[in-house]
Amino acid sequence: MGLALITGWTAFPRALYVRREQPLQFQHKTHSEKSGLTQCDSCHVVGSDGEFNGIARIETCAGCHAEKVGTSKAEATLVDSYIKPSRETPWLVYSRQPANVWFSHAIHTRRAGLACTDCHGAYGTSDQPKVYEQNRISGYSRDVEGHSMSGLGRAPHDGMKMSDCEDCHRRRKVEVGCLGCHK
Amino acid sequence: MKVSRRDLLIGGAGAIAGLVLSPVPWKLLGDSSIWTQNFPWIPQPARGPVETKYSACTLCEAGCGIRLRMAAKCPVGITGVRSHPVSQGALCALAFAAHQLNWHPRRLREVRHAGHAASWAEAQAAFRKACAEGPIAIIDGRPGRAASSAFEAFTRNHHGSYQVVLSAESQALSPYARWSGVSVASLGYDMENARTIVSFGAPLLDGWGTPGRFTRLWSVRAAGAADPQLRLIQIEPSLSRTAARAWRWIPVREASEAALAAGLARVLLEEHMVNAKGPMPQLSLAEAAAATGLSTEAIHDLAHTMLENRPVVVIAAGDNPAIAALNVLLGTVGAPGGIVRKRGDVPVQIAAGSLPSSLRAVLVDSTVPWEFSIPTDAEVFRFAAWDGGGNKAGWLLPAPGFLEELTDVPTPPTFSRETYAVALNLVAPSTEVQSAAQFLLKINPTLPVVKKVIQARCEEIFRGRKGTVYGEHAVAVTKIDSAQHLEEQLRQGAVWVGDAPSSGKLQCDLKEWPAENRLARTINWATAWVPPVFPALGTKLYQESNLRELPAGRQG
Repeated sequence: MGLALITGWTAFPRALYVRREQPLQFQHKTHSEKSGLTQCDSCHVVGSDGEFNGIARIETCAGCHAEKVGTSKAEATLVDSYIKPSRETPWLVYSRQPANVWFSHAIHTRRAGLACTDCHGAYGTSDQPKVYEQNRISGYSRDVEGHSMSGLGRAPHDGMKMSDCEDCHRRRKVEVGCLGCHK
Repeated sequence: MKVSRRDLLIGGAGAIAGLVLSPVPWKLLGDSSIWTQNFPWIPQPARGPVETKYSACTLCEAGCGIRLRMAAKCPVGITGVRSHPVSQGALCALAFAAHQLNWHPRRLREVRHAGHAASWAEAQAAFRKACAEGPIAIIDGRPGRAASSAFEAFTRNHHGSYQVVLSAESQALSPYARWSGVSVASLGYDMENARTIVSFGAPLLDGWGTPGRFTRLWSVRAAGAADPQLRLIQIEPSLSRTAARAWRWIPVREASEAALAAGLARVLLEEHMVNAKGPMPQLSLAEAAAATGLSTEAIHDLAHTMLENRPVVVIAAGDNPAIAALNVLLGTVGAPGGIVRKRGDVPVQIAAGSLPSSLRAVLVDSTVPWEFSIPTDAEVFRFAAWDGGGNKAGWLLPAPGFLEELTDVPTPPTFSRETYAVALNLVAPSTEVQSAAQFLLKINPTLPVVKKVIQARCEEIFRGRKGTVYGEHAVAVTKIDSAQHLEEQLRQGAVWVGDAPSSGKLQCDLKEWPAENRLARTINWATAWVPPVFPALGTKLYQESNLRELPAGRQG
């Protein structure tokens, strides 16, 4: 029994998730502290019509990195492999949802007044990208499923499954029917 | 150490207990269920940049403003446009789900001749041969478009006949067109200035005309009020959704609306409640009461109620001259709040009722309702985007689906002003399609090209220097610097709306009270045009959500 418990709680999570590196060692901290991009929406823009552009497109990066800024390997990769050939960086998106989910950043940030950190944590101040852990069976990121296998002691921003959305809506007394998110 | 059977059993039980208390079974169960949602054969929208486009809905002639959410240049969601001057943000359930229609299993994906697969070249050769052998006719379901001018030009060049199929709303205006000699397309209802609307079965709150126009008017001026600014009197045998929301519902016997109109006319004339002197209906008040199932007092009261709150306009569900004649008596034809003539000179069109027997071939545009029965023995070339089944046309030709072709959207029927919008081909066709106009252009390259007709229409509007273009902001045409700029705005989803209708009476002289016209009753929540298929989301929306406007006071 002990062996099964140890295997289930320690070896199984390691086996379930495949760990993948991001294509670039992006540093949020450097961009916010040295480049003056202090607000999340400096790059992750919510348009005037409410559309969210997600991760900045390569032309946004090219605004500052048309030529190499610094001598790091990541900088060279960014400029040579993506900006010059005008190729989008194949980021691994931690919070990517299934195609049948409709989520509006504009409604949550503008109308409900949520901060970006409420769902994404303090990732905006990190000095290196997190390891992307992908579930071998479902294909989704561990950030969506939540890092705690037991569900106990989870941080408020840990997990972006439907149950997490429902919990938050219930706490805030905001009713949304099925068609609210599954359009 | 010797492992006994007992040890094995205890170990196994312990392992099972340990696994149950670990996340292994529960996580595997949950992940497996998610895995089944992502089987590779389940279609998924493409991942790509998300953008918003504006356009006009082309499913019916109402031309509602639509906002499309596009992912990787593919529409994944549709909502209404609140600032659209006609539809005002409302859409029918079909339009909400229109982006799914192009992938419907019944999408017509190949040319079919007599039930067998054929090619476009064969279809063109057959139509060319038919044109050489005898007269042809082209039937258009949505006249006034750029494609319509190609149809008209083709029939002129080939001694053919161009005919139109009118929607129920346009048919209801047909009596005034016949009496005044004005085209149906240039007539409309000035509902915004009416204070009483008497509907003889017209589903005003259930998809009639342009859905948002009357629902918005009703929600602001009528909903929930005991004595509303706008009184809606619904005359209908059954408690329809419109009747249930109306200020008064007058239940009458089936197909007795014309008798009630005659009874009302008799009261209005006999009691000198209107300026008109006649003609007097042959039906007496008692006969009208017997036919409708109402008492003579009820008809009398209704006549008085109609005139309490003027202007009053009467709206029929279809081509029924007996009901239309009431508007002539009431003096509302050509008056504010009644039947108005839009600016612009629209040629009179021939309704496709009976076709000449000598026809060699008939080409039916995809805008003609699928269930329209073509009254001919000639060879039929039927364009359609979806195969609704049961059609006996010799040739079935796959037409562009939703937003798969460049087209223009002229004034919707019943609206009181001229409008013009352009719908771009925002979606790449999912199969090899041709519109009827493209098909004819290959046979006769001198025909007007849709793109150029749209350009010419934009230049005409620009030169007219009248009206307003409603896009992100409302801009008067006089403030727009070029026809190209105006066209560009329309291509981006704006809509041009002409000036207010010209005042002055329409000359409608009635020598005798018109005969009853028994209507083929069609009850549809989207009355203008229903495709032969229905998207899955449309059904879901219709079943699960309340698409209709809430009264103004109850909006969340």
